[in-house]
Amino acid sequence: MGTQIVIDPITRIEGHSKITIHLDGAGEVTDAQFHVTQFRGFERIVQGRPIHEMPSIMARICGICPVSHLVASSKACDEILAVEPPPTGADLRRLMNLAQIVQSNALSFFHLSSPDLLFGFDADPAKRNIIGVAQADPGLARDGVGVRRFGQQIIEWLGGKRIHPAWVVPGGVDAPLAEETRDRILSTVPEAIAAIERALAWYKSSLLRWEDEAASFGDFRSAFMGLVDQAGNVDYYDGSLRVMDADGRLLADRIDPRGYQDYLGEAVEPWSYLKSTYWKVLGYPDGVYRVGPLARVIVAGQMGTPRADLELDEFRRRLGRVPSSSFHYHYARLIDTLHAAERIDELLRGPDILSPRVRSFANVNANEGIGVSEAPRGTLIHHYRVDDDGIVEWANLVIATGHNNLAMNRSVRQVAKRYVKSAQLTEPMLNRVEAVIRCFDPCLSCSTHALGEMALHLQLIGPDGAILDELIR
Amino acid sequence: MTGDVLVIGYGNTLRTDDGVGRLAAERLADDPRLDGVKVIGRHQLTPELALDVSRAALVVFVDASSRPPAGIFLVEPMERTGRHGAGWSHHLDPPSLLDLSGELYGRVPAAFLVSMGVESVLLGDRLSPMVEASLPGLVDAVVALIADHAARPGIGAFAGHRHA
Repeated sequence: MGTQIVIDPITRIEGHSKITIHLDGAGEVTDAQFHVTQFRGFERIVQGRPIHEMPSIMARICGICPVSHLVASSKACDEILAVEPPPTGADLRRLMNLAQIVQSNALSFFHLSSPDLLFGFDADPAKRNIIGVAQADPGLARDGVGVRRFGQQIIEWLGGKRIHPAWVVPGGVDAPLAEETRDRILSTVPEAIAAIERALAWYKSSLLRWEDEAASFGDFRSAFMGLVDQAGNVDYYDGSLRVMDADGRLLADRIDPRGYQDYLGEAVEPWSYLKSTYWKVLGYPDGVYRVGPLARVIVAGQMGTPRADLELDEFRRRLGRVPSSSFHYHYARLIDTLHAAERIDELLRGPDILSPRVRSFANVNANEGIGVSEAPRGTLIHHYRVDDDGIVEWANLVIATGHNNLAMNRSVRQVAKRYVKSAQLTEPMLNRVEAVIRCFDPCLSCSTHALGEMALHLQLIGPDGAILDELIR
Repeated sequence: MTGDVLVIGYGNTLRTDDGVGRLAAERLADDPRLDGVKVIGRHQLTPELALDVSRAALVVFVDASSRPPAGIFLVEPMERTGRHGAGWSHHLDPPSLLDLSGELYGRVPAAFLVSMGVESVLLGDRLSPMVEASLPGLVDAVVALIADHAARPGIGAFAGHRHA
């Protein structure tokens, strides 16, 4: 007879979920599942809506990364209109997408994960939050607030507001960049880069401290996937898909992401609203791969900016070409953020960035469109079919958190097997199970949706359904 | 009228009366009586606002509340909690934001929360009739609070009072 431990809900992630840990009669972990327990159904909601509404509707999927959905949705709409944005329009979309990468990565690293990294997983949960970080290490907290503010401020200056800006539209962007806005953003870049580099130095100084955790925080062989540009470097807005295996061999390269259905399968399990995406050649569930910051720094030849390239070289010297532990998402996320800040500076210094030609106009010229970009958490795919009047008949969204679902489940199993013992329900043990999920920075708002957080609730349920033990926080 | 004053109106404008703070902020931003006052509208309070808060001498938070009856507002002084923000993920309440301002930037301004009682927080992009009718009074109360504070800094003239 088996026993179940339920952690419900998981805290300090974007959305609601729970973890179920299955024990055998001897109290040993036999399995663990990461459940996403909320349902949104955006793929159905948009059926019957006109195509020009799609970016704004899709941005409502998430309050943390609305820009990612704006960009991918607008790119899908570009295909349906059969237009390309003017080069400056594309660069301005890149700019806002990079600001989104910065602010969302900052939220994940500084606000959600740094409490664990600063205080350790055995620390009092009452102080494992940003207020606790502010009291113990004000400089780190100030940098976190500053870096996120940097990204959010750019989004607001470009789009008029921080959440759900409507500036990115089919065909390009809604308005050109003003010289004053460019200069204001440029003036904030140096401090943002300095703050990210201070965080990198702090993280690297404590890297050895986490060797033990890293060995069981989703440490397994898998493939990695991300977009790369023509030179094989990181690309957040465009480019082709590259997939690399655990030994650094390319499973696929130069894939046109519009053909994603040839390579990626989407499995549905009855215990979760989150789809599990898998690499078709390897089948389900063996075709596990990871996306997001760790995948981006692994599959890319280089980041493509000077400071981030130096950091990537050091990352590879320390951890190897294809580090297998999901714990290293944190390190990769900081390099990712540094690169994004550098790219913002580069784009703003482009000779045509103030050009008034930022949008192409057209009516419906195709019945299908696929838009792909890199969101903070990984590769994001929007796929629409419309009728001749541009009314949406069908939509499919492949979200970063879905790409990572199999990997997250495998990671939870690994942590649970190491740390969870049925007779000892302790807070640090439970936090490690949650923390491995936080490495992936899952956005359940995107894959379904929810807002806010609740207290953690753990139940140990015996074979007869009775609650044997319970922890609530 | 006065400098170093910050108004933060926050809430969800897609949940009927929950958005009253945001809508009040929109009106206050265009109110000639508040010349020189910085007004920010937000979906929710986030840590990034700590820098703005630390730079102000007076902060007025404007929010929706289920405590007073619909259309009635409360004015209350806000102080930092001095506690850790247990369970927090990425949004804050006014006392926690004051905590963060103090911890990160060494300054905690005088602060008030002006909260309007709600009739509905269901899905919807319009205020309920009762709260809509009370919105001008809410705006006037914020203006009066700021004027009073400018005349008598440090005095919370409206603290704990109810206004219909």
